[in-house]
Amino acid sequence: MTTAIGRGAPRFEVDLFSDEILTDPYPTYARFRAAGPVVWLPVTGAYALSRYEDVRAGLGDHETFISGRGVGLTDEGNATRKGVIIASDNPLHDQLRAVLAERLSPRAMQALRGEIAEKADAFVAEVVRRGSFDAITDLAQAFPLTVVADLIGLPDHDKHRLLEWADAGFNLWGPRNERMLRSLEKWTELTSYITTQATREKLKPGSMGAAIYEAADRGMITHDQCPQLLISYLVAGVDTTINGIGNAIWFFGMHPDQWEAVRSDASLIPSAFEEVLRMEAPLQLVRRYCVRDVEIGGTPVPKDSNVLMIYASANRDERKWKDPDRFDVRRNPVDHLSFGYGLHGCAGQALARLEAHAILQGLVKRVRRFRVGTPVRRLNNVMRGLERLPVDVEL
Amino acid sequence: MRIGVDRKRCEGYGMCEKAAPELFELDQAGELIVKYEGREIPAEYEEAGREAVRVCPVAALFVEKES
Repeated sequence: MTTAIGRGAPRFEVDLFSDEILTDPYPTYARFRAAGPVVWLPVTGAYALSRYEDVRAGLGDHETFISGRGVGLTDEGNATRKGVIIASDNPLHDQLRAVLAERLSPRAMQALRGEIAEKADAFVAEVVRRGSFDAITDLAQAFPLTVVADLIGLPDHDKHRLLEWADAGFNLWGPRNERMLRSLEKWTELTSYITTQATREKLKPGSMGAAIYEAADRGMITHDQCPQLLISYLVAGVDTTINGIGNAIWFFGMHPDQWEAVRSDASLIPSAFEEVLRMEAPLQLVRRYCVRDVEIGGTPVPKDSNVLMIYASANRDERKWKDPDRFDVRRNPVDHLSFGYGLHGCAGQALARLEAHAILQGLVKRVRRFRVGTPVRRLNNVMRGLERLPVDVEL
Repeated sequence: MRIGVDRKRCEGYGMCEKAAPELFELDQAGELIVKYEGREIPAEYEEAGREAVRVCPVAALFVEKES
C-alpha cells in the first residue's frame, strides 16, 4: 500500500530555492538533519535526504531512486535533458558513460597532466603579477573555460558564452521559479548553438568533442545522441570546476593559517581541494525519482515521489564529520559527496582535480597571502558559487 | 572476506590504492590490479579493504563475501 505523500516525515514549509536560503542554506540543512532522516518539503513537493549515510545510500541505490525521469523538479526543465547521461538509467547510462570515460577517466587524464600543469602555471603567473584581481572572473572562470573549450575543441571565441548556458542548465533543475523560467529561454540558445554552430566539422580534430562523433561512427552510440553528449561536456565542465577553484581562493582568503599550511607543505593540495569541495559543494543537490515504496530510517517514502539528495548537507553532517563547519586542509575528506557517488558519480572528477590542483600549485609557489574583499554571490537553483571576489595578493 | 570489482565501472580513480595499497594497485597504464581477486583477503587487511570499498567514487568495488 502506498503511503499518502508527505505522511510520517517532518514537514518544513520552506522554499529551498528562495534567494534567502540560497544565500545561506546551511542553517536550513542543519534543521533538516536534526529533524530526521527524511523531511517533507510541501512547497517544493519533494522529500529531502540530508544526512550523509542516507544521501550516500540513496545515491548508491539507483534502481529505487532513478534518474531516468530527470534530475530536475519540473517536467519542462527535464524535457530539455531527455536522454542525457545524468538523466538516464541503465543500460543507456553505461552506454553514454563509456564514451565520456574513454577521454575523461584518470587513465585518459594522465596524458594531459603535464600540459595542464604548464598552462596553469603560466596562467597563474600572469594573473598574480597584477597584484589585485577578481578571483572569480580573472582566475576561477578564465582558466577552466580555456581548458574546456580547448579539450572539447570549440572555437576559442565562443567560450565565454558557456558560462551563462551552464548557469541556465543548472537553474533548470530547480522548481518552476523565476530563475528556472528565465533559463528555459537561455537554453534554446545553447541547443541552437550546438546544432548550427558547434557542428561536427567545426570541432577541432582529436578533441573530446570530435571523439563523441567518432564514437558514433564506431557504433558505440547513435549520431542522434551526439549533440546531447556534447552539451553534457559543456554544462558539466565549467560551473563545477569554476566554483571549486573560486571557493578555494575565498576560503584561503578567510583562513590565512590554512593557506600557510598548504604553502609550507604543497603535498596538502589534494586534501585541501577535497576539503573546499566538502565545505561548499558546487552542486548542492540533485533530484531522484523514487519508483517503489521504501522506508528510510523508519520513515516511509512512497513510490512516485521526488527525493532531493542534498550533497551539501551530507558534507556537513555532524554524524559523519568531526566539527563539520571547520575548514581543515588536513582533513582529506575523500568520501565527501560533492561529486555524487556510484553510478552517476561525476565523470569529470579527474579533470576537475587536475585543473584545480594545477592552479593551486601555481598559487602556492607565488602567493604568500590572499586578502579577499566582499564576495558577490551568484544565486542558482542548485549550483553554489561566487560571481565576484576582489582579491589582493601578497607575493 | 572477499572483495569484488565491477570492471565495467572502474575508471581508475585510485582511491582504493590509497586506502589499501596491500590490496589494490594501479599499474603504469592506470589499470586496476586487485591482488586477491576471487580469493579471501588476509584478516589484517579487512579493515583497509572495507575503507577501499567505501571510498570508491563510482561504487565499482563491493564486498563479495563477508568473513
